[in-house]
Amino acid sequence: MGFWLELAASGLITGGIYAVVALGLNLQYGLMRIMNISHGEFLMLGAYLTWLAHTVFGINPVAFLPVVAIVLFLTGLAVYRLCFRRITRTSPSVEIIEARSLLVGFGLMYLVQNAAYMTWGADLRGYSFLADAVEIGGARFAGNSLLAFGFAVAASLALLAVLRWTMLGKAIRAMMQSPTGAQLVGIDTAFLHPAVFGAGLALAGVAGALLSMVYEITPGMGEPYTVTALIVITLGGLGSAAGCLAGGMLLGLVEAFGMHFTSPSLKMLLSYAVFIAVLLARPKGLFAR
Amino acid sequence: MPEPVLCARGIEVRFGGLVAVDGVDLDACAGEFVGVIGPNGAGKTTFFHTLSGVIVPTAGKLMVGGDDLTGCAPHAFARHGVARTFQMPRVFRDMSAEANVRFGLEFAGRARRHAHEAFDDARAILAFLGLEDSAALPAGGLTPARQRLLEIGMALGARPRVLLLDEVAAGLTHAEVDATAQLIRRVRDELGLAVIWIEHAVRVLMNHVDRVAVLHQGRKIADGDPRAVARDAAVVEAYLGEEGEPVKRAA
Repeated sequence: MGFWLELAASGLITGGIYAVVALGLNLQYGLMRIMNISHGEFLMLGAYLTWLAHTVFGINPVAFLPVVAIVLFLTGLAVYRLCFRRITRTSPSVEIIEARSLLVGFGLMYLVQNAAYMTWGADLRGYSFLADAVEIGGARFAGNSLLAFGFAVAASLALLAVLRWTMLGKAIRAMMQSPTGAQLVGIDTAFLHPAVFGAGLALAGVAGALLSMVYEITPGMGEPYTVTALIVITLGGLGSAAGCLAGGMLLGLVEAFGMHFTSPSLKMLLSYAVFIAVLLARPKGLFAR
Repeated sequence: MPEPVLCARGIEVRFGGLVAVDGVDLDACAGEFVGVIGPNGAGKTTFFHTLSGVIVPTAGKLMVGGDDLTGCAPHAFARHGVARTFQMPRVFRDMSAEANVRFGLEFAGRARRHAHEAFDDARAILAFLGLEDSAALPAGGLTPARQRLLEIGMALGARPRVLLLDEVAAGLTHAEVDATAQLIRRVRDELGLAVIWIEHAVRVLMNHVDRVAVLHQGRKIADGDPRAVARDAAVVEAYLGEEGEPVKRAA
């Protein structure tokens, strides 16, 4: 019993992180059709920031979470201004925004990733934080994983609540549904676009900070998360925050159980199998009406 | 002559070599109900897009309430009190009708007050339009006619000074069109709005507006009292030349 609980929990814990990463990418892609393929690199930056703060200055990683969020938000504003603003302004259609931002994203990915290799080297880095096991209902969990899961779910639910119940969130959803219509009821897209892009990167940074508490980090860690986030968005539906949360959890569970019954080296294969199955059966997402 | 709330001068829109709108002037004063008509392809909708900032004109000047908004984004027009509807309603489909109306109140119309307090509340606006029973329903589930009314409600939520209506009569029955026109006249009277209404179906429009401007091949060929315009030789020519729509019967 305890074993199955542990397996399910480890799936949900990974799934929680997936959900946060995917939510961040969904804000950028679902809202502005900016296909930011370098999303995972900002997750990596969040992880390295937390690692530096903890190992160099001895700052508690949990207390450092808001700092990571703010720094990555500001980075997002700068990246939007430097890389994506021109694309969104000059592209005649959303399809062209997608194609052009994809290319820019690739360039940005190599730039950020290799800058990190130059700065910190390719070694695995890590620190020990709340690594003691906690026992719940006969199953044992690492304290840091539970903490990461808790924060991931809290961040996802908070974003969900903002999107669903506040006027700001409704304005963001309105922009997803009809950009011109939103402008005509007075929503300032020139302000909201960079802010939402920044919020997306802030979520990636938080996910990275949470991951650094649990796993060792390298400059190449972000890339697989970008791919996973794309799969989760496809599972949950483009632009759907609740779908992201559910899709992330589902993918985490599928991976955990799949790896148990097959082999850990098949992890990506399992993800892609889910991805292809969803594309074949429900191309608009599992929860699309 | 009072100061116009909306003043367009020499508006020109070119798409490559094609001139869609060619030097059109139009004024609208507070409380005035202006119609804009024209045969298909006359440039009505393109001209309308410039008045709300959706298209930036290649030449010309746009003043709203004395401020120069030439080249500004649509949300700037909305914040200066220009609200509009679309031929195909662009409601936010997965949100409730009430939330749709609240957008205008919370964003575009935040800095202004209506002349009439009743219009400062989303539910009151819906009730005025006869949509109170749909307030909690998702906007996408309403009938097309009701979505069109809801769009007028969204525009009213923005606490406008100028209301732009783009073919609100399209797809409605005669009785519905008359009811909608009555509704718009009431709003105009109670709030002192300038209303500009574009319509392809000339007859319905002529019965309701104070003044009518006629666009033909991107140019304004007439502007004045509906009865006088209906007898104008150039206007009759423009319509007969296209499909022989009986403008004369309109008056």
